[in-house]
Amino acid sequence: MSARAAASVLVAGWLALSAGSVPAAGFEPDDEPARWLERMGTAMSQMSYQGTFVYVQGDDVVTMRITHVVDDAGVRERLVSMSGAQREILRDPSGVRWVLGDDHSVLQDQAFSGSFFPQLPIDQQNLAGQSYTLKLGGTGRIAGQSVRNLEVLPNDDYRYGYSLWLEEKSALLLKWQLIDRGGRTLAKLMFTDIRMGSEVDPVELNSSSPLKKFKTVESRLPVGRGLLQIAPHWRPLRLPPGFELTSHRFFGPDDNGLYEHLVYSDGLAAVSVYVESAGGEAARDGDLSRLGTTHAFSKSTGGMLITVIGDVPAATVRFIGDAVVAASP
Amino acid sequence: MNTESREHLSCLMDGEISRETGRFLVRRLGADEELCATWARYHVVRDCLRHNDGRVSGADLSRRVRLALERESPPAVARKSLPSWLKPLTGAAVAASVALMAIVAVGPGSQTVSEPAAGLAEGTPAETFTSPQSLTPSPISRQASLSGGLSGDNRMNAYLLRHYQATGSTGGKGFVTFVPIVITSSAQASNPEAARDEDVDAQEPVEPAEAAQRR
Repeated sequence: MSARAAASVLVAGWLALSAGSVPAAGFEPDDEPARWLERMGTAMSQMSYQGTFVYVQGDDVVTMRITHVVDDAGVRERLVSMSGAQREILRDPSGVRWVLGDDHSVLQDQAFSGSFFPQLPIDQQNLAGQSYTLKLGGTGRIAGQSVRNLEVLPNDDYRYGYSLWLEEKSALLLKWQLIDRGGRTLAKLMFTDIRMGSEVDPVELNSSSPLKKFKTVESRLPVGRGLLQIAPHWRPLRLPPGFELTSHRFFGPDDNGLYEHLVYSDGLAAVSVYVESAGGEAARDGDLSRLGTTHAFSKSTGGMLITVIGDVPAATVRFIGDAVVAASP
Repeated sequence: MNTESREHLSCLMDGEISRETGRFLVRRLGADEELCATWARYHVVRDCLRHNDGRVSGADLSRRVRLALERESPPAVARKSLPSWLKPLTGAAVAASVALMAIVAVGPGSQTVSEPAAGLAEGTPAETFTSPQSLTPSPISRQASLSGGLSGDNRMNAYLLRHYQATGSTGGKGFVTFVPIVITSSAQASNPEAARDEDVDAQEPVEPAEAAQRR
């Protein structure tokens, strides 16, 4: 056996033995709700999976298909609507593209990976424990797979809750329900078929639209810098309970103005606060908008345009947006 | 072990970590048994999912590797070929070497700009409010302008796209984060009125104690 092969066996052996027999000191039992949540995050990002799911919100029922491949080329993903106008999201290490088939256009943001947004050292799991109550529910079957229910219930009205159905062995999310504090379902998503691991066909990562013929529009948002040591130029004076700053990216201020992107999270929900020089932009006066279950709030103040976006109730984005002011020098 | 450490491990596996942070992790892997075990577990999970049948089969893999180890005693020449700083036959150091290999593979392409800091060094954190201000309920009367593609609100579109990209890993939701910009666009295009003026109002949030009183 060559030295390289021997080293490989040693490494593989240690990895396997560690996984199988290292004492689990400090580990949470596998049946703890928080552990299920953590496993779900790992499965959603690290697994390869492919399937069709139905999304329901109000009277709208839309069928979509997801292909998520993790291999030596990195993480690649294609999310495509199977009904209505053809829209796709394509993600790979080079960036994210939003394909608008009916408009023959592609909006793409500058390439960045997950680490583009440096995270402050916040224990998100612990943070989530302050704002939500986690409960393990019963078992069931979805898309031919055995699943376990995990209820994530909000402790107040500033955030939504979730009912999650996770594949029992991998904790992959197979059914998702967004619920308000009163238990009312606002939207839900459920797989009707799912493939995992080597069953995934990577060919489906290719867009079905002739992208070369489409007009590509670059997001004009600057890449900016992510120096966490520098305090935000603008920030909300108050936040809903449990929300903390997790990422800060900015450009300027210089002759081109200022761009600032702050991300606040309670461990599960996340809110983006954008602060940008208004330029010739029409003034906004506390406008509230909605895109599905995402809410947005915009206001103009001091020559700046403040936009708050989050998968949280409308009151939460407005609460934060109303409180955004220039930081004291 | 906190979530930050887990995220760093995950970034290391994905090749999305700065060289400095990677070196720090390697040092920690050499001393932190729990971190090593998590690293190993992530690898076993990922390798099984990629190459096998989509199921984590750590026990079987462990058995097979044990058999391989029993058949092949570690040759001395292999140990001699290892760098002197690498302590052979200690699990932690072996894991560290795996991490180092990953870092080498990552190369300079990582776009992490800075090390995670202990917090905003010079900023006063935003106050966490204790009593919600009076918010006048107001109906949401319009959708974010997204259905028109190029003719829509490009600034808002870009904000949304970057928001979803920046927060996709929060809460482990993954692709679900992106669903609204595909779903609603479709719904709007096929039925522009259906998605409008739904029964969501911007009502005043309720504190836990207050909510309990309501029940």
